[in-house]
Amino acid sequence: MIRFERVSKRYPGSVMALSDVSFHLDAGEMAFLTGHSGAGKSTLLKLIALLERPSGGQVFLDGRNLAKVSRRQLPVLRRKVGVIFQDHKLLSDKTVFDNVALPLIIAGVRYQEIQKRVSAALDQVDLLRKIKTMPLALSGGEQQRVGIARAIISHPPVLLADEPTGNLDPDLSADLMTLFSRLNELGTTVLIASHDIALIQQLNRRVLVLEHGGMSRSG
Amino acid sequence: MVNTRKQRRQSRHSRGAGSALAIRAWARRHVYSFFSSLGALVRSPLGTLMTVVVLGIALALPLGLWVGLKNIQQVNPATEDFSSISVFLNSGTDTAAATQLAAAIQSWPEVDKITSLSPAEALTDFRENSGFAAAVDALSENPLPWVLEIQLLEAAVGSAAESKLQFKQQLDKLLSRLQELPGVEFAQYDLKWLERLHALMSLGESIGRLLALLFGFAVIFVVGNTIRLDIHNRKEEIEVMSLVGATEAFIRRPFLYTGFWYGLFGGMVAVILVSIALALIRSPLDRLLLSYQSEFELITPGFSGGLLVLLTGGVLGLLGAALAVRRHLQNLNPT
Repeated sequence: MIRFERVSKRYPGSVMALSDVSFHLDAGEMAFLTGHSGAGKSTLLKLIALLERPSGGQVFLDGRNLAKVSRRQLPVLRRKVGVIFQDHKLLSDKTVFDNVALPLIIAGVRYQEIQKRVSAALDQVDLLRKIKTMPLALSGGEQQRVGIARAIISHPPVLLADEPTGNLDPDLSADLMTLFSRLNELGTTVLIASHDIALIQQLNRRVLVLEHGGMSRSG
Repeated sequence: MVNTRKQRRQSRHSRGAGSALAIRAWARRHVYSFFSSLGALVRSPLGTLMTVVVLGIALALPLGLWVGLKNIQQVNPATEDFSSISVFLNSGTDTAAATQLAAAIQSWPEVDKITSLSPAEALTDFRENSGFAAAVDALSENPLPWVLEIQLLEAAVGSAAESKLQFKQQLDKLLSRLQELPGVEFAQYDLKWLERLHALMSLGESIGRLLALLFGFAVIFVVGNTIRLDIHNRKEEIEVMSLVGATEAFIRRPFLYTGFWYGLFGGMVAVILVSIALALIRSPLDRLLLSYQSEFELITPGFSGGLLVLLTGGVLGLLGAALAVRRHLQNLNPT
């Protein structure tokens, strides 16, 4: 589902964020991406989500070489990847409902269908009672879960999460991992960037380790 | 062979169903942009109001000028009496001299009838009908001269059915003869002031067209600048929409709609402003025109004119928004 071939990424005027990274993630697999902060985890996720282009090497998503995707096709391909951002990326002037509904509105889904699916997604992250709240009135953890609901609402085949448990207490973190596991069982390919070693060890999944921009372990 | 054709037909069929679905999704996205752009305007009423009023004033100026010109244009030469000449005598001419002159002119073959108007009569007339009674009362002496209104015999000067040029030449000849008479300050026929009026009106039209062009540009740039600020303020939203897979067209659309709304509402304000102005001048204008016994109906923009202004505003707003979007909504995606 996701394949990196000798990928490197250099931001203008800085050191290599990623260098010579290769790995392969099968469809329906669930894996953790770990490493020190600044090791390139976020960059790697952005390359998969088509938010950045690699400086060298090739990234494949669902068999497609992302280097050959034109700007016009980019948005449609991006919808195949649900991303949970570290800083949530919620719209502060829109309600929780509108935030979660955004991917469906963009896809032009019928309003009744949107209502049904937003309710279902918010129920999954246990936030249904906050459906009409503005994001700024929510705690950090709640905002995080709104972001998760938005990422999973259009049932993307690939789900990426950047430090999803960073703001959550242990109970909620465990709940979240259960949710990810469930989605994975339903066929979603899940890649979670995290440095919460205890949590990673508990789940006993494949772990990819990034060190100074290079991948030191991919099994 | 048969099989492949069938397959092809099937694939074409499913493609047809897919495109119908796509059209419906496209329509839904449009409806969403339509309402969300309106909602965004309603949510910041003060800012919207200020922009709309500025646009309204910009559109009201050319509209007002156009309505004014339309009204002046209905003073139609055909309904006016051509065959009358006003002869203004030197100031200080006494009654005896005026009467003598009138009698002399009366004997000309072209003349049908002469009405003499003494300075005193003229002043009383003016005082009663012009609405400037107070100003007249303030005068220490009567500034008006003797006036002889000459009604011409149409048969003698040549009927209006003859070529306009000939008719005018006849009138001009008569006019110069009158002007050469001793004691005459000047003589003029009504056509002269109509000609001047028409010249002024075509000048007014040119100015109006220029103003419309200038203010049209003003509308485009005011909307463009407003949308530019809007884009700037909603950077976060634009980024997030792009992150979750919105196409550039989808992101652009609400801004284009917003520009259209600005222009449309600006046009509405312009129509309201001009209507208020017309309502305000209606009764003094009626009083003035009554004094001329003129049949005059005040022309207003009307429904179709109003609609045209609204649409023009909308299109100009759309143009402004398109300019801003082109300039400021690039590089959403990494290349």
